[in-house]
Amino acid sequence: MTTAEARNLPALLQGLHEDGHSGTVRVSGSPGGTIHLRGGLIVAVETPGAPTATSVLLTPGRVDDETWLAACAAEPDTDRLGGYLVSAGLIGAAELEVVCTAAVFDAAFAVAIGPPGGWTLDGPEPTLHAGSGVEPRRLTEETTRRIVRLSGAWGAPGELARIRPAAVPDAGLRRGLSDRHRAVLSTVNGRRTARDMAFTLGRGLYAIMLDLTRLEAQGLIRWETGGPSEGRPSTAPRVLPARGAPDAPATNTPQAEPPAKAAPLPRRTRGGASWPGDDRTGASRPRDGQSQAVGAREGEPREALVPDGQAREGPSGQTPAEGSDALPAGTTGGHGG
Amino acid sequence: MTTAVDASLVRLLDSPGVTGVALVDAVTGLTYGVAGNADEAGDGAECAELAALIAERLGRAGAEGELESVIMTSTRRHQVLLAVARPVGDPLLLTAGMDRERANLALATRSLADRAAEVLA
Repeated sequence: MTTAEARNLPALLQGLHEDGHSGTVRVSGSPGGTIHLRGGLIVAVETPGAPTATSVLLTPGRVDDETWLAACAAEPDTDRLGGYLVSAGLIGAAELEVVCTAAVFDAAFAVAIGPPGGWTLDGPEPTLHAGSGVEPRRLTEETTRRIVRLSGAWGAPGELARIRPAAVPDAGLRRGLSDRHRAVLSTVNGRRTARDMAFTLGRGLYAIMLDLTRLEAQGLIRWETGGPSEGRPSTAPRVLPARGAPDAPATNTPQAEPPAKAAPLPRRTRGGASWPGDDRTGASRPRDGQSQAVGAREGEPREALVPDGQAREGPSGQTPAEGSDALPAGTTGGHGG
Repeated sequence: MTTAVDASLVRLLDSPGVTGVALVDAVTGLTYGVAGNADEAGDGAECAELAALIAERLGRAGAEGELESVIMTSTRRHQVLLAVARPVGDPLLLTAGMDRERANLALATRSLADRAAEVLA
């Protein structure tokens, strides 16, 4: 088996595919994610960076919450929930397949535009899926295509994901807009990132980012200039340097090099106030949301987040330094802006 | 392995002259399934980009409403892109390649449109 020496995530998935492996690959990083395999094929990918198939069904009301809960009660095995939804007439088999397949590719894209992380292998876990699954090679190729498609003047897709676009005045009054674009415009408010909109609308992250670039090209929205303002906590996925990769080039180091390094030594203040710098990180953490669930504090070794006893089989940071391998990516076009 | 989408699409090949059909995400260009000749159905990403570009230009020219279909004709072939109605979620495209000598464009397009909604059943 090649998993131990797999050079990167696509190589690992290809190796697992050739072995007909069924199980779970947990990818660390920001946002990171969980890849579910059945018989070597990828049937589901879950990540905090993009809505799951369940969210896509529930958020726009394709299946209402009560019906969903009743279905979950009737079929407690999530692996077989898809079959139950179809047999109960709640959704067509082909439509469910479309939703689940779209969610796989979208989540893979969300994982790929973040900084690369390590991985661990686990046994199979129940997850909602439909259809036979996706071959790793196809997933990698499509993810690469998406990353190339969304690389533009703003830089790599990872940069675009952090932009908080704002609508130009009277954008909604423009004639000839599709309902879909109007819906996206209605969620654009200068504070939401593409990921926020994806969760708000129950649509894919890539689809939202693509729509945003089209709206921007039509002059209906503008990218927030200057990025997050000083002092305002960021809720966007941060581009952290690949931890555990001492040989990684330093070019990935974000401009916000951990402030703790540059800050003066901790000094007590009267009244037993907290450590200098704690105010800011403390305030930002609760608002960081799930995208930061694995992020920890800047500068803190990410290895600390891997639970004890879970062997890190995938050498963190040993990800494609260049080329077209997409997963885990952010490599195409680089992280620079 | 045949999927539910592929199985739905195979039925559309019954129309005379239809040589290949594919179900494509109209936004992302992802191909969900193919029946018949995949090359003649067209590349999903290119079809989605083309349909998006046409819809945008039509909108800019003042056209109201959603794009329903795009029909391209060469000396030997027809290429048809049909929007597929969906209860919620991003729109889909049914792309079909037709042999011009065997297909009656009007009838085949009508037949595809009538059965497009059944694809998701």
